[in-house]
Amino acid sequence: MSSNSLRHLTRINRRALIGGAGGLALAHAAASKLGMPYIGNAAAADPIRIGMIYAKTGAVADQAEYMAQGSLLALETRNNTLLGRQAEVIWLDEPTSQAAQQNAERLVGEHNVVGIVGGSLSSSALAISAVAKKAKIPFVAANAGAIDLTGRLCNRYTFRLQPPADVHTRVLAPYCAGLGKKWYLLTAAFAFGQDIKRSFTEFSAANGITLVGADEVPVNTADYSSFILKIRAAKPDVVVGGVPGNDISTFLKQWNELGMKGKIPFAEIAVGATDLWGVGPEAADGLFTINWYHKNPNNPPEEQMMAATYEKKYKRPAADKTWMGWMAMNALLDSVETAKATEPGAIVNALERWGVQRGGVKAGYRAFDHQMVNRLLVVGVKPKITDKWDYFDILAETPSNDAEIEKVFGAQAESACKMDAL
Amino acid sequence: MFDLILSQAVNGLVLGFLYVLIAVGLSVIFGMLGIVNFAHGAFFAIGAYLALMLNRDFGWGAALLAPLLTGLVGMLVEFVLIRRLYGKEPLLGLILTFALALFFEAILRLVFGAAPLPFNPPRFLAGFLEYGPVLITKYRIVVLAVTVFALVAFWSFLEYTPFGRIIRAGSRDAEMVGLLGINLPIVLSIVFGIGCLLAGLAGMLSGPLWTVNPSMAAGAIMPAFVIVTIGGLGSYAGAIIAGVLVGVVTAMTIQFYPDWSSAAMYVLMAVILLVRPRGLFGEKWERFE
Repeated sequence: MSSNSLRHLTRINRRALIGGAGGLALAHAAASKLGMPYIGNAAAADPIRIGMIYAKTGAVADQAEYMAQGSLLALETRNNTLLGRQAEVIWLDEPTSQAAQQNAERLVGEHNVVGIVGGSLSSSALAISAVAKKAKIPFVAANAGAIDLTGRLCNRYTFRLQPPADVHTRVLAPYCAGLGKKWYLLTAAFAFGQDIKRSFTEFSAANGITLVGADEVPVNTADYSSFILKIRAAKPDVVVGGVPGNDISTFLKQWNELGMKGKIPFAEIAVGATDLWGVGPEAADGLFTINWYHKNPNNPPEEQMMAATYEKKYKRPAADKTWMGWMAMNALLDSVETAKATEPGAIVNALERWGVQRGGVKAGYRAFDHQMVNRLLVVGVKPKITDKWDYFDILAETPSNDAEIEKVFGAQAESACKMDAL
Repeated sequence: MFDLILSQAVNGLVLGFLYVLIAVGLSVIFGMLGIVNFAHGAFFAIGAYLALMLNRDFGWGAALLAPLLTGLVGMLVEFVLIRRLYGKEPLLGLILTFALALFFEAILRLVFGAAPLPFNPPRFLAGFLEYGPVLITKYRIVVLAVTVFALVAFWSFLEYTPFGRIIRAGSRDAEMVGLLGINLPIVLSIVFGIGCLLAGLAGMLSGPLWTVNPSMAAGAIMPAFVIVTIGGLGSYAGAIIAGVLVGVVTAMTIQFYPDWSSAAMYVLMAVILLVRPRGLFGEKWERFE
């Protein structure tokens, strides 16, 4: 076809021009609603700005949406003010770890944020952490579980809410061992998945467990059926998973489709309630660790209030990720208020002293590695699900008191973190 | 071990044919319109969401309309946007369809939320069958049958109907088809719609297998491009053979080298392009030379 042959179809006239301009305007309006960056509550001049980096696309976008809403709620409940000044959140994406790093640099260089919250994936959080260290800006990682973040690559400006893979493993592995001595590991091929593989491999070696198989799965795998056929042939007693976000939803759907649900138990650490909601009651199955559950009667009153406010606003229950976003942002905002300044060093000092009582445990960041110590829940999928938002039976809350914290989270001597000075 | 290899090969066939369905639509759109449709994965996702909604509200019978509705959405997009690109710089098509892919994903996220939505195979297709070493679910057998039927029906349509002849002729020399008095804009709209219909059909079939979420297009579009490239741009038979190859090679890699499973199809593509740069069945097309 020659380049002129269809030109009569595409001739630009006045109507087309107006239509195009209208389309552009519409696209701009849509982009401002859908796209990035999101700027919440831009009101008075020179407000205090908080940076937020959560995925808007990709395998963890659904989890990130809940985290972002939780973080925004934390500021909204303070009437969008900090230190008596207007405050606003600037939300940028993390499509790749490289983009997360660039966006962190943008938040610091262009938007002059006083701190950053976010990091849906460990790879992104590690990249943001490097920027936080270089720019000397406090960063609270909400969801990242890679051990290195508060281990070998720790720094004074980075704080982390999610317990790392080895902590989750100490909590869940004894339950898995109770189900059988032959395990199959199916973990994602990225930082957190590799930590899960390493932690469970170490536990199995120390406790007489035989690994009958261990596969690393690419993130965003659409079809797990070939992996499931391998697992079926290996005949393990338990499958230990370590796949993130939407991937676990896909896996569990296909696990059920291939008739494996109920035949071989499935267990995974640090799962999100949203992952199971996406699977549906028919296919949901497994034993998990989770940070928070909206149906837990032991949630402190302020968390129950947050959950009620969230449900009223968003017409759906708060997920564990909502709580994580809310908790991470609250820690940062509380610390700004405590520091009575936006100076990074003062905020970091305040974050190191920050803490809230949750049941028998005082949740807060350890000074020697900036890892939050907190209680974890061990949950199992209900045998019969009647409420589409209530999938779990709570089996245990660990640690249940301050004395158990070191046993679960490890001692300072075990930490690879060499904390630097401010 | 032979049992497991056989089982994986059969499983890979199902996956491969699903990819073929997506890739054939992509290939037809490129062959006729000269547009490399980066938004093709978005139509796959739209098909899945439409099937999910129709199934939820009206049952599986209604869900079967999802591919047709996806085709209509495709025709609308062609009418409003795509046709303005005919005869223009190919880069414009790439940019527009890439933007469309992002736009549709954002729309799905806005309307349905970012969280995956539950969507399972119909109850009467629950369960699986075992034939010796081969294990396959009833739903996957239906997926395979529907896919093969759709491909044969579409091939027959192209080969044996007057409209199919117009499409084939138009893919080689659109100008001549126009000079023969055929209303080319309508033909092009229908072709784009058919391509999107095939993507929507793949989305409908994949929804109960994969996770229905706004980002699901990404899992479909890259294999589709790889298959089109391996098979040869615009080649129907090439897309089918390449799709089956990709499915089986991926399944076998998972069996023996799971860490390499996502890279396997790209390695396969690189090897084939080294040997035959136009792909397995790629021809020299005057209009693209």
